[in-house]
Amino acid sequence: MGAGLLGGIEFSNPDFVHNVPQLAFPHLRMFHVNAVAIGWLSMGYVGSIFHMVPTLCKNKLWSERIGNITMWAWNVVMIGAFCTLLNGNTEGREYAELGAVLDVMVMLALLMVAGNIYMTILNRKVKKLYVTLWYFLGSLFWFPLVYIIGQRTFVSLPGLNDAIVGWFYGHNILGMWFTTVGVGMMYYLLPRLTGAPLYSHGLSMLGFWGIALFYAPTGTHHILQSPVPEWLKAIAVISSIFLLVPVLTVLTNFFMTMKGKWTMMVTDLPLRFAVTSCMFYLVTCIQGPFQATRWVNWYLHFSQWVVGHAHLALLGTFSFILTSSLYYSWPRLTGRAWQSQGLIRAHYWLKFLGFLLMMVSLTTAGLIQAAGWAFGIPIDQWSLQIRPYWFLRAISGVMILLGQCIFFYNLYKSTYSPSAVQAEAATKPREVKV
Amino acid sequence: MYGYRLGAIGIVCTFFAIIFSTVLMPMVLFRPNPSGHGNDYTAEKTGNAVRGRQIYVREGCFYCHTQFNRLQDRGYGPLVKAGDYVYETPHQLGTARTGPDLTNEGLRFPAQWQKAHLVQPRAVKPGSIMPSFSYLSDGDMNDLVAYIETLGNMRKPENYVEAPDEYRTTTEAGRKLMARKNVDTNAVASANAGRGIYTQNCAACHGLQAEGNGPNSISLEKKPANFTRPFYKQYPDEFWFYRVSEGVPGTRMPRFGEVLTEEQRWYLVAYLKTLPQNQEVTINKVDQVDKPEQIELPAMTHEEYEPPTGAE
Repeated sequence: MGAGLLGGIEFSNPDFVHNVPQLAFPHLRMFHVNAVAIGWLSMGYVGSIFHMVPTLCKNKLWSERIGNITMWAWNVVMIGAFCTLLNGNTEGREYAELGAVLDVMVMLALLMVAGNIYMTILNRKVKKLYVTLWYFLGSLFWFPLVYIIGQRTFVSLPGLNDAIVGWFYGHNILGMWFTTVGVGMMYYLLPRLTGAPLYSHGLSMLGFWGIALFYAPTGTHHILQSPVPEWLKAIAVISSIFLLVPVLTVLTNFFMTMKGKWTMMVTDLPLRFAVTSCMFYLVTCIQGPFQATRWVNWYLHFSQWVVGHAHLALLGTFSFILTSSLYYSWPRLTGRAWQSQGLIRAHYWLKFLGFLLMMVSLTTAGLIQAAGWAFGIPIDQWSLQIRPYWFLRAISGVMILLGQCIFFYNLYKSTYSPSAVQAEAATKPREVKV
Repeated sequence: MYGYRLGAIGIVCTFFAIIFSTVLMPMVLFRPNPSGHGNDYTAEKTGNAVRGRQIYVREGCFYCHTQFNRLQDRGYGPLVKAGDYVYETPHQLGTARTGPDLTNEGLRFPAQWQKAHLVQPRAVKPGSIMPSFSYLSDGDMNDLVAYIETLGNMRKPENYVEAPDEYRTTTEAGRKLMARKNVDTNAVASANAGRGIYTQNCAACHGLQAEGNGPNSISLEKKPANFTRPFYKQYPDEFWFYRVSEGVPGTRMPRFGEVLTEEQRWYLVAYLKTLPQNQEVTINKVDQVDKPEQIELPAMTHEEYEPPTGAE
């Protein structure tokens, strides 16, 4: 977060940090991407999986010791990433910057999570598999594979093949990990928080298989205008458009589950995060296939519009659902209620408004850039016109970071203050059946 | 129970089918031969450039600069082909263009300019948001510049920039324009005729010596072009004519087609063509940047101040 903000400030004020290699924008950018993807989202996801899977299987985690080892391994990876990426020790592959040692460690951690969860589910005490478990099982099967293929640590492919495999990974870390686990979490949280049963299990299966079928081949739409084979581009574009099917199925299911319960958003703060996430999911998934078509891509590619889209997915959708999951599960895990509802509200509004500001400024900047490229205006002329938007983006970064700090403060106070135990009796978390 | 097993087998098969089609199939079917237009980083002959490429990767230049140009990117040199990238590992195609495309960047600017730009981008490109890489050691900096100067050298363009079709003989409008042209733009006499038009119309912004530092330049956010840059040597006549006639979008460069006759503009082109030099005339001290040239106006009579009307 902090790295992203500093990067954002450097856009509007390029001489903000001078002569410090660790704080130069490209190094911050590498660390920002990896900290968000491998650090914040993946660690949060694995934590949520460890909470949700035993609940849904009505048994304990297969091995808590392996779970703890996973946690330490993951944190060591992040410390390693901090030390290496900021010094420019990178493999030079976007989203796969981590060095060989860290790659192997992430891989081992992922395999440990997968083994642990598979064993937990095999030993479950309920017969039927809820759809969330389908999503988690799927993700933990294919994400380690995608990760191995995508890292290219021990192979050296010729340039364009490297790019094809790289974008297979770059898009599927989103599609086969953040999306599938995130959607699985939505399936868990919405019925839990609203107390309403899931609208349709049939639809949820359709959504799951749709994602499993259509997500993996879409990666090449990132290099749609480079000289890679046309048939590969065609596969990517077509499956990108087909992705509308599972997305709309999933969202129909969510919104029908919410039917009659929308007003609960006003009082139930974790639900508010979850519903916001669903709404952003709708927007990002309409935007995605639209951008992946050739003629829109022709105009918009390379611009900050795409950066806005990436933030819409990772910040707007998946960070919000992860935050919702944290707000939901923390009191249940520690037995202590949240210290302050007001701080949760502050977190929500700072994050929500900060994100909207970021989205609007990046999208506008992207449209200006795209127009600049399309009409052949020299870059050093239009780049002056987007300075106000860099500035707005830096402000939005401040808001989001402030929200996260409030969240951390609330978490700390709720966990460690002695009064929280008494507060728990008064506001005992509601237990609702799925 | 069977449904669950069937599902598991289904996931496995689906996933492997997809990996096969999008990861393995391209590696088997798509194996471009080296085109000879890309750089060969496996060879020793490129020397420092190979190390420069590692620094390019280390410093993460590809987050803001792409290395493939597209059909619609005007002014970025010849289009890339699949065979150009055979030796590029890890690929540096890039994802976003926060800065310009670098596909054919080599030799567009002198090495000294590149170095100054890396140390303090805003000294040579006002308003740029590129970070300063002043922390690079001398060796790293020289290698990086050596690498940048090799980019696209093997592609050998005829022209980096081309005027729109209506100014070229590929269209009817362009052929008519050329048929009307009665000025020899290569003649010294024409250039001398153009000098006066330049002084009257262009020098206020571009400066008498064409270094882009005329008196007006200080108030312009986007600085006027410095015509002494070797880059301008590759401008064909019709491109000069197009720029003079239609101005530059996004800057204060006006459309002189509105005030100058076609003949006057061709004379101006003849003069402009003489301006690019082998080495750009630049200000090499940072405290002199943004200092405009002081033009001493001679004592002139009233008639000489009359602006050109376009009518002879």
